[in-house]
Amino acid sequence: MSITDQLLAALLLYGLPVLFGVIVISSIGAPFPVSLTLVAAGSFAEQGEMKLVPVIIAASIAAILGDQIGYGLSRWGGRRLINRITRRLGGAAKIKEAEALSKKWGGPGIFFSRWLVTQLGPWLNVTCGIAGYPWQRFIFWDVLGEVLWVVLYVMLGYIFSDRVQYISEILGNLAWAILALIVAIILGWKLFRYVRPAGSVTA
Amino acid sequence: MKRFGWRQAVVALAFLLSVSVAVIFVVRAVRPAIYWHYHQDEPIRGWMNVRYVAHSYHVPPYVLYRALGLPHKPPDKRPLRQIAKAQNRSMDEIRTVLLDAIVHARPPYPPPPPPPPDPEASP
Repeated sequence: MSITDQLLAALLLYGLPVLFGVIVISSIGAPFPVSLTLVAAGSFAEQGEMKLVPVIIAASIAAILGDQIGYGLSRWGGRRLINRITRRLGGAAKIKEAEALSKKWGGPGIFFSRWLVTQLGPWLNVTCGIAGYPWQRFIFWDVLGEVLWVVLYVMLGYIFSDRVQYISEILGNLAWAILALIVAIILGWKLFRYVRPAGSVTA
Repeated sequence: MKRFGWRQAVVALAFLLSVSVAVIFVVRAVRPAIYWHYHQDEPIRGWMNVRYVAHSYHVPPYVLYRALGLPHKPPDKRPLRQIAKAQNRSMDEIRTVLLDAIVHARPPYPPPPPPPPDPEASP
């Protein structure tokens, strides 16, 4: 029996506690099929097996809690580890660069990695923690993105409650397509900046 | 235009790779959306319970409960995997029984009769 089967069977049998636990653990970084779980919870809510509002509230709190754990662990544990490594091996300048980058792009990065390119979510929690991204700003973007993610996925499951696996397959493929497109745009921009004639450089 | 060094070649290669990956996933995401109306039935899996299968296949749940030899009230909420274990059957067997009942509950077969009366509701 696959882990997906076990998770969804447990969700049907025990409801909210399973939903809460799965989302907290996967937000920290465990590779659980969390999108399918969320879409399935929406479908079960439509069928009367679970209740819609508690599903949305529990899933949102779980996602936000998991993100805070990932952020907190890497901010206090990871930061110390990085400091020790840079003291011995160098590379402090690179870390400063990463910190500046995270402060500049952190907000949109956190927001979009909550609901659009969810694969990056746990990674961003760790990098924001290590880079010392301000917690107040982190939690602001986090709450905004996670609530949007939960409402979007649960409602898709609720509306298309008879085809849970189908919906989550489409969503999964879309998320990977968007991630690959973002990477392509960044690399394409780098190439463009290199090959364009020197005269066209503005600013 | 400047000359490409090995660093630019790597970036160009990574760019082409990411574009190809994006195209593959866009196609994989869009294709099922195009065939949306042709694809209605979810493959039956061990995590589903009888009511979910009935909901997904748009047949009355009691038809499936009857096919599995289970009472339809109170509704049995166990996942199919557990029912299979309890009945000493394989998941494949359970799937075959359910699909057979589903086929016979849909056109061109006549619609299934109304569910048997609820024993608790009778006076």
